[in-house]
Amino acid sequence: MTTPFAPPAGTEWVRVSRRMRTMRRTTLLGPALILVGASAGLLAAASAVGGAVLGLVGLVALGAGWAAIGRNWRSWGYAERADDLLVTHGALFKKLTVVPYGRMQLVDVEAGPFERLFGVVTVKLHTAAATTDARVAGLLPADALALRDRLTALGEAHAAGL
Amino acid sequence: MPDPPAPDPPAPEPTTTDDPTLAASARDPGPGDPPAFLRLHPLTPVAYAGRVIGLVVAIVVFGHLEQSTGTRGGSSSGTTTLVILAALLALTLARGTVAYLTTAYRLEPSEFRVDSGLFRRQSKRVRLNRLQSVDVLQPLTARVLGLAELRLSTAGTEKASVRVRYVSHPIAQELRAELLGRSAGAGPGVAEAPERALYSVPPGQLVGAVLLELVSWRLLLVLAGPILAVVSTEASSGPHPAATGLGVGLFLYGLIVVAHFIWRRVTALWDFTVAESPDGVRIRRGLLATSAQTVPFDRIQALRLHQPLLFRPFGWVTVRMNVAGYVGRREAGSTVLVPVAPRDFAEWLLSRVAGVDVVHLPLTGPPRRARFRAPVWWRAQAVADNDEIFVSHHGVFSRTIDVVPHQRTQSVGLSAGPWQRALGLATVQLDSTRGPVRIRARFRDAGEARALLDLQVDRGAQARRRASGRPGQRTDVAPNLGPGNGLPVDGPPVNGPPGDRPTPGTRPLS
Repeated sequence: MTTPFAPPAGTEWVRVSRRMRTMRRTTLLGPALILVGASAGLLAAASAVGGAVLGLVGLVALGAGWAAIGRNWRSWGYAERADDLLVTHGALFKKLTVVPYGRMQLVDVEAGPFERLFGVVTVKLHTAAATTDARVAGLLPADALALRDRLTALGEAHAAGL
Repeated sequence: MPDPPAPDPPAPEPTTTDDPTLAASARDPGPGDPPAFLRLHPLTPVAYAGRVIGLVVAIVVFGHLEQSTGTRGGSSSGTTTLVILAALLALTLARGTVAYLTTAYRLEPSEFRVDSGLFRRQSKRVRLNRLQSVDVLQPLTARVLGLAELRLSTAGTEKASVRVRYVSHPIAQELRAELLGRSAGAGPGVAEAPERALYSVPPGQLVGAVLLELVSWRLLLVLAGPILAVVSTEASSGPHPAATGLGVGLFLYGLIVVAHFIWRRVTALWDFTVAESPDGVRIRRGLLATSAQTVPFDRIQALRLHQPLLFRPFGWVTVRMNVAGYVGRREAGSTVLVPVAPRDFAEWLLSRVAGVDVVHLPLTGPPRRARFRAPVWWRAQAVADNDEIFVSHHGVFSRTIDVVPHQRTQSVGLSAGPWQRALGLATVQLDSTRGPVRIRARFRDAGEARALLDLQVDRGAQARRRASGRPGQRTDVAPNLGPGNGLPVDGPPVNGPPGDRPTPGTRPLS
C-alpha cells in the first residue's frame, strides 16, 4: 500500500516506545475516568437510570479516547536516510517532515515531568526555519541520546551555510 | 545622501579600560595584521539623547509661543515638566556616556568584535562568514551630527544583531564595505563596491500606495465615530449629547491614529531606492531618519511578490523578502525589498535576485476536486519549479507569488488534515527562515504531492552539493550578475524598464 505518508522506498519507520501510549492513557484517561465515575455515582444517588446512562456514555467516550491515543501513538515514527531525517506523526492531521542533516542547527532532547515519570523523552530538531516541525516524542532515553549523537555527527559532516 | 560635515573622526586608539581580558587582548596583536580596538564617536551621548532633546526643544518652543500669546497657565506644572525632562535628559546622556566610555570594537581577520558594558562586560563577536546583512542607520539626531549606527545581523534570534552606536558616517560606510568584502571572501582593504540604482519609488507613488494600504477593515473603526454621532443625534428618543461627544471624540482619535500611521510609513519609506552592487542588494530609505541596508544576494532566503486588490488598477506590487538576520521587531520594516513598484519591474527584480526567470515557468494547479476544500481560491493555487527555484502562486483578490531557491530551503514537509485526506489531497510546505514569505503547494493530489516532496528534497540536496563546491567568493555570491544566465546583463535604468525584459501579463493560472 502506498500512501503519501509512507516511509521512503527501502526503509521502514522506526516506531516509538509503548511507554508513550501508556503515559498518555494514564495521564489523560485516568483523571477522566475518575471524573466520569464520580459524576455518575453522584447522579445515581438521585436517579439510577441517569447515573447508568452517564456512566455508559462516559465509558464509550473513554474507549474512543483510548483508541485515539493508540492510533496517534502508531502514527509516530522516524527514518534515517543518507542525507536527511524523515519524521512523521499525526493520525487525523498527518504530517511528514524531511530535514536534511546539513540544515540542522541543533538537536534538543527534552522530557517533561510526566515523560520523566514514564521514562520517555522527546527529540526535537531545529533548523533556521521556525516552521520546521520535526520532533519525535516517546523515545526511550538511551535510543534518544544515541539518535541525537548520530544526528549531531551527521550534521557536522553535512554542514551547509544558510 | 546628504552628508553633513562630520566632526573629527574618533581617534583609532586602543581602549584604556580596566577590564583585564579586554586590556590583555588589546595588547595582544593578531597574526600579521594587528587590529587596534576602536572607540565610538565622542558625540555618542548627544545622539543617544536625541529624542529627549527633540522633546525639550518642542516644549520650550511651545512654551514660548504660549507665553507670547499670554495663555500660559499655572507655572508649577511647567516647572514639573521641566524637572522631569531634565532628569530624562540626564539619564539618556548618562547612558550614552557609559556606552561611549565602555564600548570598543575591532575588526579581526574572521570576526567582528564589540566589547561593551559597565558592570556586566560583554564581548559580542560576529563571524564574518555568518554575516547576513549590514545596515547603516541614521536617526535624525545622529544624522544632524554626522553619526551613524552600524547594525550587523546574524542568523538567529532577536538578540543576534550586533549594534555599534555611534560612529561617524564615513567610518560606518568604510566598515560596511570592509565587512561585506571580507564576508564574501575578499581580502582586507576593500573599497566600497560600486552600486547601480535599479528603482526609486516616486513620492506620489509612495503616498498613493500607503493610502491604498490603509483601506481595510480598520478604516471602519474610524467611521464608527461619526456613525455613532449621527445615530445619537438623530435618534427618535431625542439627541444624546454624551454619545454624540463620544462619537466625535472617537472620530478625532481615529483621524490622529490614521495620520500618525501615514506619517510614519511615508517618512520611513521616503525616497526608497533599491540598488545592486557586487556586495548585494542595497536599500536606502527615510526622510528624517535614514537607513541603508545591504543584503548579500545569497543571504536572501525567499521572496514574495504581493499585489493587494487595490494596487491592481495601478499595476503596482510590493516585494518582500526573508533574511535570516531580520527577525526582531526592530528589523520588521527591513524585509521590504520594494514597497511599491510597477509589476513588470518587480517581476524583473525577482528574477534578477533569484538568478533565474521566475515568471515564465509552466504552472500546475490542484485537481478540480480541491474545490470542495477551497471553493473559489483553489483556482488561484499554482506552483512551478526547476533545478534552481520553487515558485508558488496564490490569492484570488490579493495575488501573491512566493519564490524560494532550493539552495535556501531549510526543510520540506507534507501535511493533510481529515478533509484533505477524504478528498485525496495533501499540502507540501517548504520551510524558510522567519519572515514574510511562506511557501506552500496546497491541495495537491496526494500521490503527486508526495512525488513533489521527494523531488524538492532531491533538488535541495543537489543545490547544496553544487553550492558547497563553490566557496563564497565575491563573484559567486551574485552569480546572476554575470552574463550567460538568460537575463539581461544591463538591467533597467532607474525607474525605467529593461530593454529586453520578459513580457508582462502572461501569468497563467492553474
